[in-house]
Amino acid sequence: MPSKETILTKIKANRPNLWPLPDVPIFETLATDKKKLFIQILERGGSKVHCVDDSTQIHQVITTHFPENKRMVSALPFLEGIEGITTLHPDFYEGTEVAIIEGLIGVAENGALWVTENELGDVRVLPFIAQHLVMVISEKNIVGTMHEAYKKLGLPTTEGFGVFIAGPSKTADIEQSLVIGAQGARSLLVILTP
Amino acid sequence: MTPHAQKAAIFNKDEVRTDWHDASLWMVRKKRDFAVSEIPEWEFLREFASDIKMHTLSKLDDYLELFEKAAIQNGATVHWAEDAKEHNDIVLTILNKHQAKKMVKSKSMLTEECHLNEFLERHNIEVIDSDLGERIIQMLNEPPSHIVMPAIHLKKEEIGELFHRELHTEKGATDPQYLTEAARHHLREKFHTAQVALTGVNFGIAETGEVVVCTNEGNADMGVHLTPVQIHSMGIEKLIPRRSDLAVFTRLLARSATGQPVTVFTSHHRNPKPAGEMHIILVDNGRTEQLGKPDFRSSLKCIRCGACMNTCPIYRRSGGHSYETTIPGPIGSILTPGIDLKKHGQLPFASTLCGSCTDVCPVKIDIHTQLYKWRQIVSEAGLPEAGNKTMMSIMGNGLASPTFFHRLGNIGRKLLRLFPGKERFLSFTVWTKDRDLPKAPVESFREWYAKQAKDA
Ligand code: SF4
Repeated sequence: MPSKETILTKIKANRPNLWPLPDVPIFETLATDKKKLFIQILERGGSKVHCVDDSTQIHQVITTHFPENKRMVSALPFLEGIEGITTLHPDFYEGTEVAIIEGLIGVAENGALWVTENELGDVRVLPFIAQHLVMVISEKNIVGTMHEAYKKLGLPTTEGFGVFIAGPSKTADIEQSLVIGAQGARSLLVILTP
Repeated sequence: MTPHAQKAAIFNKDEVRTDWHDASLWMVRKKRDFAVSEIPEWEFLREFASDIKMHTLSKLDDYLELFEKAAIQNGATVHWAEDAKEHNDIVLTILNKHQAKKMVKSKSMLTEECHLNEFLERHNIEVIDSDLGERIIQMLNEPPSHIVMPAIHLKKEEIGELFHRELHTEKGATDPQYLTEAARHHLREKFHTAQVALTGVNFGIAETGEVVVCTNEGNADMGVHLTPVQIHSMGIEKLIPRRSDLAVFTRLLARSATGQPVTVFTSHHRNPKPAGEMHIILVDNGRTEQLGKPDFRSSLKCIRCGACMNTCPIYRRSGGHSYETTIPGPIGSILTPGIDLKKHGQLPFASTLCGSCTDVCPVKIDIHTQLYKWRQIVSEAGLPEAGNKTMMSIMGNGLASPTFFHRLGNIGRKLLRLFPGKERFLSFTVWTKDRDLPKAPVESFREWYAKQAKDA
């Protein structure tokens, strides 16, 4: 018997009686100011947050944070053509210093930002391979909890890869000492637009 | 003494180090407590998580088929492995098909369980564990001592020494930042040159066929996205029905594991990258048997957060290696006796039955009750680990008879006065190894009570 059948037969023989599947309510956060909580949790996790009044200020914020003309790559259409920022191309991301991408949903309770391969210009590795990561998100897209986030996400449609990113990569594998910048991005800058 | 107790005794020889180990884990437990305190609905979440898992187990065959169908539709290849050997063979076949000689792996307890590394190395495949802690212990040729923090037993001086030898860091350097940076460079090179990447799986979603991997370092994604072939090894119990169930589990997992509100990366892999391949291996390896044991099947709810280890007074003061199992600590002690009762039957006795593990478990596994139940089974099987049987039966009879109990008390007090050191007559029991006997009172409570009554 092929292994699939063997495993399924064993399960049928051994499984417990049907246990009901609970309906999980959409728990919301108690925080009255979601934006404030989002910023606070992000900063606690080692990220930087910058609020701007409109998207024309984004470039300014980025050049202030990364003054030396580093190799910056962006998948955001409105940053196209701006000096110092290269438009993302699937064959052209090696050696990326700063990657600038858009987050679709921000979660206040844990500072996580959802992004799919569509926002990564199909370069799935981009937010991990870049030395520094910049994520732009509108404060309208901040939700309270993961329940709200998954409700908003629904089921995947076209995207084959999606990820919640909640800060710069980190490790505490050596004596429980927190080190920011493990194997992915060394820093995360979140730019909040209205 | 059981093998665990012997190993624990060796671990405890270095008292300062034992204290340090204990304190490191307790710090993680405290972080967990803080993270939990921020979620008012925590207890509800645990209940939901437990019910979702129990539901999935009760229809596991249906959900596995649903998952397989969705995954194939997405463009992934699904394999089924009855045991470790079949799992390892599948991995090797995929590697051979691509003539791959180098594979990067991110942390996966399942592949530890299957001893995949040793197997592949025998077939001349270079396996690079890419999680920092895993890489450290791989270089040292040691098994992980914890399921979330595999190198928790090592001092930074030892890691500094190791990296000096292996990665040519400066001699005597012990700064974690510096050492992590060295590992980053070392591993980045590996991601670019490996042909295949393998990850473990935290959750498989039946309705979408996605596999979800929760990590902090970014190494799992570096491997998966940079190599043409990605393999995800998944125990069949990792399944959950709906994507929205992830809300419950992602809220519980990191808070329980490290006290973070969520892991830095929660990656949802649905299909292969363009021109790439995605393989999912569904592994049984004893899980269907565990499912058939009504008293112990709920251990399959485990999401491998490690909280039960961090809180366990025995684990903290004996270290993960003393258990000699892939998964140490309380959960390991209820998972492994079912696999090999003779070898692991001693482990349910490595517990004080204080119940702290059950209290912290995010999926509400009644760990300490199961430990107790395993003890009954081990005792019935007549294994020596059941403890000193003669002593237990003398005690049992003595406590059941008031006259005998009274006499025993008299004898005991006399003996204690005559031979105050415990070494004289209690040296055969492990219990007194680090405990002293109390001073013997002059009279028993019964004698004192009788005197009071007379005086009055
Ligand atoms: S048994 Fe519970 S506490 Fe222990 S690792 Fe599993 S989920 Fe975590």
